[in-house]
Amino acid sequence: MDSQAPAPAQHPKYAWPEKPRLIGTRVSRIDGPLKVTGRAKYSYDILRPGMLYGRIVRSPHAHARLKSIDATAAEKAPGVKALLITIKPGDKVLYPGQEIGALAAATEQQAADALRLIKVEWDVLPALATVEQSMRPEAPQVFTPANTRRGTAQEDGNLDTGFAAAAHTVEGTYSTQVQTHTSLETHGCICEWNGENLTAWVSTQAVHGTREGFAAGLKIPQANVRVITEFMGGGFGSKFGPDIQGLLCARVAKAAGAPVKMMLDRKEEHLTTGNRPSAFARVRAGVAADGKLTAFDAQTWGTGGAGAGSDYPLPYIYTFPNRRRTHTDVYINSGQQRAMRAPGHPQGCFVTEVLMDELADRVRMDPMEFRLKNLPPLAPNAMWAKYFPMGAERINWKSRHVTGDPTPGPIKRGLGCSANRWGGAGQGARAHCEIGSDGSVVMRCGTQDIGTGNRTIMAMVVAETLGLEVNQVTIELGDSNQPFAPGSGGSTTAAAVMPAMRVTAGKARDALFERIAPQLGVPVDQISMGVGTVLVSLSTRDPLSDAQSAARSGQAPSSRSISWRDACRLLGTIPVSVDGQWERGLSAGGTSGVQFADVEVDIETGITKVRKIVCVQDCGLIVDAKTAETQCYGGIISGLNYAVFEERILDRNTANMVNPNMEWYHMAGQSDIPEIDVVLVDQPERGVIGIGEPPAVATAAAVANAIRNATGVTLRSIPITPDRLLTELERAGGTN
Amino acid sequence: MEEKDVSRRDFFKTVGVGSIATAVVAGVREGEAAQGPAAIGPGDAPVTLTINGRRHQLQVEPRVTLLDAMRTRLDITGPKRVCDRGACGACTVIIEGRTYYSCSMLAVEAQGKNIRTVDGLSQGSTLHPVQQAFCDHDGLMCGFCTPGFVMATVALLEKTPNPTPDQAKKALDGNLCRCGTNIGVLKAALSAKGVARG
Ligand code: FES
Ligand code: FES
Repeated sequence: MDSQAPAPAQHPKYAWPEKPRLIGTRVSRIDGPLKVTGRAKYSYDILRPGMLYGRIVRSPHAHARLKSIDATAAEKAPGVKALLITIKPGDKVLYPGQEIGALAAATEQQAADALRLIKVEWDVLPALATVEQSMRPEAPQVFTPANTRRGTAQEDGNLDTGFAAAAHTVEGTYSTQVQTHTSLETHGCICEWNGENLTAWVSTQAVHGTREGFAAGLKIPQANVRVITEFMGGGFGSKFGPDIQGLLCARVAKAAGAPVKMMLDRKEEHLTTGNRPSAFARVRAGVAADGKLTAFDAQTWGTGGAGAGSDYPLPYIYTFPNRRRTHTDVYINSGQQRAMRAPGHPQGCFVTEVLMDELADRVRMDPMEFRLKNLPPLAPNAMWAKYFPMGAERINWKSRHVTGDPTPGPIKRGLGCSANRWGGAGQGARAHCEIGSDGSVVMRCGTQDIGTGNRTIMAMVVAETLGLEVNQVTIELGDSNQPFAPGSGGSTTAAAVMPAMRVTAGKARDALFERIAPQLGVPVDQISMGVGTVLVSLSTRDPLSDAQSAARSGQAPSSRSISWRDACRLLGTIPVSVDGQWERGLSAGGTSGVQFADVEVDIETGITKVRKIVCVQDCGLIVDAKTAETQCYGGIISGLNYAVFEERILDRNTANMVNPNMEWYHMAGQSDIPEIDVVLVDQPERGVIGIGEPPAVATAAAVANAIRNATGVTLRSIPITPDRLLTELERAGGTN
Repeated sequence: MEEKDVSRRDFFKTVGVGSIATAVVAGVREGEAAQGPAAIGPGDAPVTLTINGRRHQLQVEPRVTLLDAMRTRLDITGPKRVCDRGACGACTVIIEGRTYYSCSMLAVEAQGKNIRTVDGLSQGSTLHPVQQAFCDHDGLMCGFCTPGFVMATVALLEKTPNPTPDQAKKALDGNLCRCGTNIGVLKAALSAKGVARG
């Protein structure tokens, strides 16, 4: 080899084991027992001595100017200990529920009573409740500099050439609704001051980020703030900082001189803590007679609420050699969007995948064959061409009929498919590991487990590395006093934290060996890890690499083994205590997957019953097959909700949400859940990649395509509720 | 009177969705008590609750729900407050063999009844078979809906030890999970064995 050539990519010192003992197996969530017994304490559950209850004062109007506010009666109301108004006459509010103050009282009931005693007078101004209202030329200008913000065109290739090469074109407007995160634990926190130091128990996806947010918002040193999130009841992208309610909570707690709990109620949660923007796309696309895509031209828009963006990737996945797309953000008087489970992707996926089925029909091709013809080349992060046939087999794709179920009667069956991609790379996590002389192992990392199973896979990696069982490892997380780890968003946590676990546990193992080698009377390179044991090699040949496999394969012992506890006892009073962090080469980014749906539609009632979803998904090296599979189930169910159930509905006149609850904001119940068949594809050579978001992307499009296949009616808009489906069936010539 | 209106609104919000609370209307409607049972409220009233076999005496306003009394006064936080209006099941408790949404029942109304919550299911560190099944089949993620699902499953299996999938789904339809754990939940409900008849 030429000595001038760059060195080959360095093999990481703490590479993943080639024949893992725990990694890739099915391990039950280690915090399961705490959660099923009710002993897990979420932020919402925390009671502190002398704790008060806080409420936020909010605007009832979507767009209004404050005339006057009088809180004297509220201040004097029974139980009220602190009250803060943050708005002044002349100020404007831009969405219903906008925060204008806060108070704290001894009981929740007293806080609620006091809230009603605040007298507020408003000049109610015209509100924009829909994108159509906002985009009208005669619309009142509510936002500065304008109600809309048009982005620059993204262009590639030559559209004229593309459309000239097309044998067929499809033109249409596609759309997706606004959905809210609806985490079961609402946003909120408990703030407790000790002098100038603040401890906050927050329902957050980022303990370190939230500490930073408190410090910046309250203008106090980060060193004075501690944020704790031991358990949290879902975030889905909406919980990354203290938010306004957190800062107000800290301020009223300070003013009252007592801890304050400020958990939002369900309505506040729907109105003010984020949502997935709507998406609209006016598309024209061309396909050649041989089924190759030629051109894609789209004007897109959507709303992320009052002043927030709504962009999304389009076209999605498939190769359109000539394309143009211009996106316009449209602002309306509603709460702002936040990242929500694979931000942008379900929208782009829905628009593109429904279009793909329509194009396939124009060239009379099977929709899957049509997709295979237009996919980017196979790559580790682009495996769709391999996964589509795998999924097709499991959904029985060959039983598919052409568009429109010819079976007589009201019940129509149909199949559909779609594809997804996501990043899921992570970095930057740090950790600290201690091994005590009694053999106990504590790993500390300021990450959080938002329901993904992070705690469990952390324990698996540490246990794997130290030759222990999962229950011999204590994982401490969810505290900003622990070493830094990034927020849990973008499916980045596993890829950020698992390398830190591997490296830090590996370093702790090395440090243990260093410490006990003199007492064992051997050079350190003759010590290696067994299973629950430490192995001391009797020869000098490369013990680190083969001792464990030799022990397993039962070859003649070339080493003696000491129990883990006995080995740790040699440490004496000073534990092993090491820091470590994420290193390159143990994780990656870029996942791909496909989904298939099998549906049954009753064309008399318009009710869709999803019978089965098949999901083929990769996420690099699978750590815990059990929780990874659950992530897929969860993503698919969230996609099912997006497809046929949930929608934020705003009153057209007031822009107030008419379903800010959980009975009219529809989500699947147990009887709505289809059979779900998950195929997890392991790619151990790629290292760890996140899987929280990818499975949530493709379900809605697959379901919509299956409904189209069943009914013969093209539905370009979700959610496909019975009323919408019946309307479209009617428009298409009535039910047959 | 402002205060009366306020508490009445709160009260009606509570009973608006579920029907189970209607029985107490006569008991707490202020100002109309002369002919009926002795009026209590609007201030604190003594309430005795028997929860997981233990008696608790506390002072709460009559408008306080069973859920809030348990959570904020007794530190029994297994039941979660999620929708607070009878739509999600996170607050599910079992009273005399059937499930109730504790957010939609007043504490005063729950007196003299044997209230069971998820907190009282396990025997020391030995999980109840339903709890064990939820762990084994990964019927939980964030876990915020889990206490409600566990209680709904326990109530089902105490009546119907070997439910069909349809029976199990129907029994769990009053509970919502945003993380999407329903696949594991159903497996747990269909596989938990050895639940004593209630
Ligand atoms: S909190 Fe009681 S049903 Fe939702
Ligand atoms: S496990 Fe999170 S809501 Fe059900």
